[in-house]
Amino acid sequence: MSRTRAARLNRKMDRLKMLEKEGLLKSREGSRAVGKFLQNKLAVVGLIVFALILLSSIFAPLITKYDPAMIDLRSRLSPPSREHLFGTDKLGRDVFARVLYGGRISILVGFGGALGAALVGVSLGTYAGYKGGWLDKILLRVSEIFMSFPQIILVLLLVSILGQSLWNLLVIFTITGWGSVYRMTRSQMLSIREEEYVQALKAFGLSDGLIAYKHMLPNALGPIMVNLTLSTAMFILEETALSFLGLGVPLQIPTWGNILNAAQDLTILQEAWWIWVPVGLVISAFVLSINFIGDGLRDAVDPTQQG
Amino acid sequence: MVYVDTILTVDNLHINFYTNNRCNEAVKGVSFQLKKGRTLCLVGESGCGKSVSASAIMRLLPPLSRIEEGRIIYHTDQGDIHLHELDPSGPEIRAIRGAEIAMIFQDPMTALNPVYTVGFQIREAFMYHAKMAKAAMQAKAVELLRAMRIPAPEQRVNEYIHQYSGGMRQRAMIAMAMACNPKILIADEPTTALDVTVQAQIFDLMNDLQQKHNAAILLITHDMGVVAELAHDVVVMYMGVAVENGPVEDVLTRPAHPYTSALLRSIPVLGQSKAQKLEPIRGSTPDPFNRPQGCQFHPRCDFATEQCLQEPETFSVSPNHTVRCWHYEKVLANA
Amino acid sequence: MLTYTLRKLLMLIPMLLVITFLIFVGLELTPGDAVSYMVGPEAMANMSQERLDELREALGLNDPFIVRYLRWLGRALRGDFGYSLTSGVPIKDIVFSRLPATLELSLAALLISTLLGSILGMVSALRKGSILDVSLTVAGMIGVSIPQFFFALVSILIFSFKLGWLPSGGRTMPGYTTFLDRLPHLILPALVLGITMTAGVMRYSRSSMLDALSKDYIKTARSKGLPEWRVNLLHGFRVALTPVVVLVGFRLPMLIGGSVVVEQIFQWPGIGKEFVAAVRGQNLPLVMMIALFSVTAVLVASFLVDLLTALLDPRIRLE
Repeated sequence: MSRTRAARLNRKMDRLKMLEKEGLLKSREGSRAVGKFLQNKLAVVGLIVFALILLSSIFAPLITKYDPAMIDLRSRLSPPSREHLFGTDKLGRDVFARVLYGGRISILVGFGGALGAALVGVSLGTYAGYKGGWLDKILLRVSEIFMSFPQIILVLLLVSILGQSLWNLLVIFTITGWGSVYRMTRSQMLSIREEEYVQALKAFGLSDGLIAYKHMLPNALGPIMVNLTLSTAMFILEETALSFLGLGVPLQIPTWGNILNAAQDLTILQEAWWIWVPVGLVISAFVLSINFIGDGLRDAVDPTQQG
Repeated sequence: MVYVDTILTVDNLHINFYTNNRCNEAVKGVSFQLKKGRTLCLVGESGCGKSVSASAIMRLLPPLSRIEEGRIIYHTDQGDIHLHELDPSGPEIRAIRGAEIAMIFQDPMTALNPVYTVGFQIREAFMYHAKMAKAAMQAKAVELLRAMRIPAPEQRVNEYIHQYSGGMRQRAMIAMAMACNPKILIADEPTTALDVTVQAQIFDLMNDLQQKHNAAILLITHDMGVVAELAHDVVVMYMGVAVENGPVEDVLTRPAHPYTSALLRSIPVLGQSKAQKLEPIRGSTPDPFNRPQGCQFHPRCDFATEQCLQEPETFSVSPNHTVRCWHYEKVLANA
Repeated sequence: MLTYTLRKLLMLIPMLLVITFLIFVGLELTPGDAVSYMVGPEAMANMSQERLDELREALGLNDPFIVRYLRWLGRALRGDFGYSLTSGVPIKDIVFSRLPATLELSLAALLISTLLGSILGMVSALRKGSILDVSLTVAGMIGVSIPQFFFALVSILIFSFKLGWLPSGGRTMPGYTTFLDRLPHLILPALVLGITMTAGVMRYSRSSMLDALSKDYIKTARSKGLPEWRVNLLHGFRVALTPVVVLVGFRLPMLIGGSVVVEQIFQWPGIGKEFVAAVRGQNLPLVMMIALFSVTAVLVASFLVDLLTALLDPRIRLE
């Protein structure tokens, strides 16, 4: 340990000791989880950025006067100006408006995909994890098969079978994402199953479904919520990657990925940075904010990670 | 008043923990002297600071903790070493660890590294304290295992800890601790994880070692039976305070602190199961962040008065027997 | 160790059977003539309708489903995967001609991310709570949040177009013969793929290292008087390494997935780029076969990871 680090540690200890002597450190009142989350600076920053981007997407018409689909061939490829904050694209569409409106679809797809995967994964995992037996064995094998595909390969495979559309993308994300949620929920249930109150409920003769969904599931919700947040981030990234390749949401619908698709053109990549750099930064900031939130949640709900 | 045969003095030790942004006074006033060829037992319930005190001697406290006050002095033939002043990761304390003072832990399964052979881990103990060729170290490791009565040591030395049985694991750990013939052996609940029959073997072994090498043993335990069996001296701890300190015959037969006497009355004695009336100690251990004022034991004590809100002084019952209680005379009279 | 290997190997087979079966079902559901991807397109063009019907009967296309599946599987095992719909080239040839490029890129990225990730993670854990640790953690979070293709585009813009240091795409140039000639082409895609993967490895090795450092045997090692470096490296890092190896193994699917996008952007002539082209061109037989190929690669890789962890951890090896 270096001397400065030791000194810093010593000062921190002195401060704590003084505060403790004066009785200023009391056991925290209220929900430990909420307090812990709010204490995490990064999580709070994440929450603010997240809300900012989400709300400006939802209230896009109030923020910009432009229609994201309006083609204006007189002002093509104009750089950012007071008129067009992020400039215009090859067809003269306002990029700022496209980013705002695009956020609606991208966030919807990301969150919808995560929600779909969570619904399937949690409902199967809760029951199978509690009951065990052949149902669990089969589902475990099936999820293993799904998870042994590289995610994007499986997604693209399904895209080429089902075809490109917004709804298909949600279905595909559900199909590719449920496996990991299933395994996580299942392992949670396996450990909760060993707790005594479950034995007691069983002895009361409650039905399996009631025990699993009403009494056990709420105790597994923390990690499930964390998983939901983190997989939302993952699916947003996946949507943008697919759309960037031209294989996600159909190109006429503005999404973050579809806006970036223009950067496949080398001249745009080199000369019209405003079309793709701002939206790339917005995606990064949004996903980062979700990851910060997810991380904060994880620390808040995980009692083993104190300190 | 340091005796000639005293090898380690712990004087008024205070240790605070600073985890979770709180300050916990884990040890607040522990003093004792360790003597050559004798065994001192630190007893108390879990969380009373006995393990922390032992770790402090080796300067193996976790990062967010600190020795606040007090002294730990190691008496050598070349003079005294003030252990509490050393850099916890510096070369001076490293030269003492393993060579002069060695430690064995509660659960050998977790205290020994699962990915290295037992032989490798014993060799490591020599590596920084003796200049030896690898073959010599290996031979010495085999010899140590044999001395610990581990069968087929030539073969066992190349095995991993999970291949050993419970009792053998702890013996392997003792072999490792004894590698450099330390002057002091600190044993932190060494038999808690073991069967009773195996316990006896381990204690036998420790006794042998003590007699052979004249080592001082600091034994940490919560088991009064173990104390009666092995200890020469006892220090009873409660909530970070050493409440009673003395030779084992005195402390066990004439307990002067209400906690010690309550502790003795709460445990069954073999062969008296029917006649004996067990009295559990009433109340429960306080929250370390919400400590009682003054004597830590007074909320659970039958002798408590106004005076107990003051920190008790240390009184001498007999020359070697001290107690921290305002009412020790009443306690003695009551027995 | 031998029984462990055999057991793991035996568990692979049913998985592969189910996956090949699913792929076969996918192929059967493909619109279009099944004959078209079994017979080369040149031969097809010269055939009459009756001849085609005969062929169908002769090829056993009218046989029960399961018989057709087994026959298809048999051919696949002998290396006959049918033909690409668009180019008429045997799929096997396509896959094997693209494989070296993908392997080269993947291994380079794997090397970068494993080395960088495990070392940074270890340092971060050893300095837990320090400014270095916090910045590395935040940098890692940013790393997993930036879309990989955006990172790739920005790095092309900077290092190829603005600075002109490295080529923006492709794997080689006419006249390049040695690996060193081609190396500049590899640097940018490998770094992009490697760095985006580093974040995950770093995060994991940090928590694995913290876990190892909290173990009792760390205290035992210190109590023997070992110097800090030995405690941290031999007792901490060595134990923390096993889960990291497992993670890197589980990352292989991500690596193959990641290389799809990166290969596309850098015009790297690998399997990923071929795959995107196949999806775009609705070339389903090729899509299916590349998917099958990548799953097989993942399963084989995870088998190898199992063996490696067994070698690293005597508790598994000696069971």
